[in-house]
Amino acid sequence: MRQKSFCFFFFRKRRSLLPLVALDGCALHGAPSFPIAGAYFPAWMLCALLGVAVAVGLRAAFLMAGLDALLSFRLFTYVALGTLAALALWALAFGP
Amino acid sequence: MKRVPMGGNRRIGIVIAVACIGAAVLAGLHVAHQDSAYPSTDSATIDAELVHVASIVGGRLVTLPVHENQHVHQGDLLYRIDPEPYALTVRQAEANLALATAELNNQRRLLAVRTAQAATARDQVTRAQANRDLADRTVTRLEPLAGQSFIPWQQYDQARVTRNNAEISLAQAHQQSAAADIAIGDLASATAAQAASQAALDRARYELRQTIVTAPADGFVTSLRVKAGEVLAPSQVLFTLIADDAWYAVANLREITLPAVHPGDCATVYSMIDRRTPLQGRVESIGWGVLSADSAGLARSLPLVPRQMDWVHVAQRFPVRVRVRAADPTLLRMGATATVEIRHGPACP
Repeated sequence: MRQKSFCFFFFRKRRSLLPLVALDGCALHGAPSFPIAGAYFPAWMLCALLGVAVAVGLRAAFLMAGLDALLSFRLFTYVALGTLAALALWALAFGP
Repeated sequence: MKRVPMGGNRRIGIVIAVACIGAAVLAGLHVAHQDSAYPSTDSATIDAELVHVASIVGGRLVTLPVHENQHVHQGDLLYRIDPEPYALTVRQAEANLALATAELNNQRRLLAVRTAQAATARDQVTRAQANRDLADRTVTRLEPLAGQSFIPWQQYDQARVTRNNAEISLAQAHQQSAAADIAIGDLASATAAQAASQAALDRARYELRQTIVTAPADGFVTSLRVKAGEVLAPSQVLFTLIADDAWYAVANLREITLPAVHPGDCATVYSMIDRRTPLQGRVESIGWGVLSADSAGLARSLPLVPRQMDWVHVAQRFPVRVRVRAADPTLLRMGATATVEIRHGPACP
């Protein structure tokens, strides 16, 4: 139930951001291990990719919105935001 | 004028940075705790029990009704070895048993004869005793008559000789009777020979039965590569039967997560044959030992201690055996990659 609703959210809102997980319908539903070209990639790798994507995406979005100027320690802030996104994906989709 | 907003921005920036980093650290700690409290692995393997099908007798394979990958039920005929040599052995053993039985009957008759002979010998003792008593009484009677010369001394002497002869006859009769009693013997030897023949016959019959090999459990025939006509040595494995009455997932979990795993815990198992279908499992047991490279060595030799200065040690993993509940049989193939999640996942509400 929880995973289904999360997938729904995931694909409705961020389809353009994450084409990787849209390999085969909602790939998150099922084992936390993803077959790509005959090899299984662990779920945490997907989370890490999402974290990097979120950090880069937020940087671009904040620059456009002018929020970037407010920040200091930008590297640490964006890394922390990316880490938060990655951990949130793990906790929502793969965690207990 | 410029400094004040910059300072405000800077303060806001620091607050945001500290909040983000703090939240990330807290989230990281939470996730790390969850990960160790609810262990999972993606390097598990689907496992089942095996029977290496073999017959304890050898011979030519004459019937092989099963084929590779076929499902069989317990008790189904798997193959048959040429029974003729074993049937012949049974016949030989039957003949040996008949011989031993005949010998036993023979010995029984001889025993009856020897028993009768012993009875005769005892009767001879009685007769010799009676004769000796008569001779004794005769001597006693004649002794005063001979002393007073009423009879010739010669007659008295003859009576004494007769008594001595009767004594000797009695002793001989005693000896013969004892010898005859000993000679009766018993049937132990013939009975034991018969029992040995019976055991040989039973064994031959058992071996004849072993020429028919039936399935010891429900399962799948695998690695069968020969046809009828093959000659098999005794105990030679012809193929492997994968028992399908119980399927397992063997999840290698790191030792630091083992305190969170208990026999009876629910587990979600995904067979990567279809990674979308969660299978319900239950932790059955945790492995009690793995071979460690640090403790490997010949048992009778000295300990093998490598010289090293490792600062980082990789956690040892132990196989956790998870019994998979009855599921779609196409998902369960021995050796398939599986993902196991202990106490979470869709199969554990």
